[in-house]
Amino acid sequence: MTAVDNHGHGHGKHTVSQDYANPYVAGIGLGLVLLAAFVFVGRGLGASGAFASSLAWLLSGISPDHVRANEYLAGYLGEDGASPLKAWLVFEVAGVFMGALFSGLLAGRVRFAADKGPRVSTAVRLVTAFVGGMFIAVGAALARGCMSGQALTGGALLNAGSWLTMMMIFVGAYALAYFLRWQWR
Amino acid sequence: MPTWLSRLTLNQALAALAIGLGAIALFAQPYQGDTVEIDTAALAAEIASGSADVEPRILAAWIVGSRADYRVVDIRSAAVFAAGAVPGAENIPVAGLLDAGLLRSEKLIVVGDDGAQSAQAWLLLRAKGYRGAKVLKGGMAGWIDQVVSPVLIEDPTPEQKAENDKRSVIAAYFGGTPRTGAGALVAAPAMPAVGAVAPKVAPPVAPAAGGAKAPAKKKREGC
Amino acid sequence: MNAPFLKFGMFGDETSLVIAFVIGVAFGFALERAGFGSAKKLISQFYLNDMAVLKVMFTAIVTAMLGLTYLGWMGVLDLSLVYLVPTHVGPQIVGGLLLGVGFIVGGYCPGTSVAATATGKTDALVFLAGMFAGTWVFAEMYPAVKGFYESGSGAQMTLPQAAGLPYGVVVFAVVLMAVGAFYGASLLEKRFGVKAEE
Repeated sequence: MTAVDNHGHGHGKHTVSQDYANPYVAGIGLGLVLLAAFVFVGRGLGASGAFASSLAWLLSGISPDHVRANEYLAGYLGEDGASPLKAWLVFEVAGVFMGALFSGLLAGRVRFAADKGPRVSTAVRLVTAFVGGMFIAVGAALARGCMSGQALTGGALLNAGSWLTMMMIFVGAYALAYFLRWQWR
Repeated sequence: MPTWLSRLTLNQALAALAIGLGAIALFAQPYQGDTVEIDTAALAAEIASGSADVEPRILAAWIVGSRADYRVVDIRSAAVFAAGAVPGAENIPVAGLLDAGLLRSEKLIVVGDDGAQSAQAWLLLRAKGYRGAKVLKGGMAGWIDQVVSPVLIEDPTPEQKAENDKRSVIAAYFGGTPRTGAGALVAAPAMPAVGAVAPKVAPPVAPAAGGAKAPAKKKREGC
Repeated sequence: MNAPFLKFGMFGDETSLVIAFVIGVAFGFALERAGFGSAKKLISQFYLNDMAVLKVMFTAIVTAMLGLTYLGWMGVLDLSLVYLVPTHVGPQIVGGLLLGVGFIVGGYCPGTSVAATATGKTDALVFLAGMFAGTWVFAEMYPAVKGFYESGSGAQMTLPQAAGLPYGVVVFAVVLMAVGAFYGASLLEKRFGVKAEE
């Protein structure tokens, strides 16, 4: 029996039986989407690159010279002054947002709340979310990708570095899970 | 349907399917590697018809007319390239030609020292599926001979004088000077009409810094 | 041989951006369907309560891997034209660990955080902000870490190449490993699974 957690909302015990798809079926669907990307465009999925592009775009609005001088971000600038937002991953991530919204609306799963365990306050949860996001960003930059880009895409391509990254993701998360019980359990 | 098959749950059926496909895949060789299949008949026809050739004077007309639907790929070494090349050419020595990220459908005009070297590289590209590859007839030697230092017709008739003028203008555009050679071939094909050409403030034969069309920045394809 | 379609010139860059969006919609839809728009479901993986992350991820990997293998074998897809992210051993070990830490602390990964934001999770939105901050910090630190960042080979390498095994053998091994992992995961869920309250 697959486990389903109830979403502890701030107020009131409000358990919703979540009608999620069979994970294997969802996985096959995801795998076919990934395959379509390979066949149509010769690349796989990703996400973290879209954030680097967006950051380059945001900072370019404030101080374009600083972005051009930054060796890491300069790589995300468009050619010949094109917007950094005109990147494959940016459009893909925009699609992810829409697709998830669509699925959520269909299932009645759209609601404004923070996902957290019963023992922490929303405020604390938001702080850990921010900190976690920072770790993910640095990790994704070093590893040249995140779960979508390395684990999924590189995994399917049997990319050695991707499998290494994927294993270390699991190691890191499992190693720390015990110490983060206060947040989730 | 045998009873054991109908008793499988969905998950078990999927697992069986995956293992089956995986077992067949044991014999797979998905990467094509260095061996290719060449359609010799099609290739022979193309060579015979000359449709893979580009005359230097035609390329010159394209450059002057600012056509942008092609790429000139100079396969010579970097040192030789720096000494002089077709304006807008990209230097991709032969060794790195297949790894350079060229598109199969792009019109690529291969330029070597001479026609033979150009054709060798052209065949390599065609074998690997670069359908748009073409040869600059005569290579750099042909370019210099036809465009940069064209031979002027001696004792021209009025029509031939117009042809000479065209050749001179084009030569000046590319920073060269025409010459009158002994035994100039009157029967050489005429310069295509190019329209009013103001001689550019001479770029010498060497390409503009980095090639007038800088090689397209390798698109980021990572995560 | 005419795939990847883009690299054979069947359409241009503008169209590929449209395709990116469409693929993204399917991606996001699949993620949310699987329940990955919820941090609580995602991290249940690491408490052995709900192994959906492992199941979805490895099923997707196996599906796409088999698809690539067969399409490449049939000569329909030119695998050499598909981009392989270079391997950098040191940075990827450290990066992977940091990704894992970020996952369990933050509750999301970049893709799922977007999906979760779409379904209204405020913590996912804050997570996104954290990602921007983290990327900015990394960019500012880049000169100092550049040496490490570029270390560890930088070659494009597949597992079969690294192991010196035929491609098909590794494919089969991955399938077996995945099916074995799914079986193990279902056992773990039976032991540690948290039942839903109605």
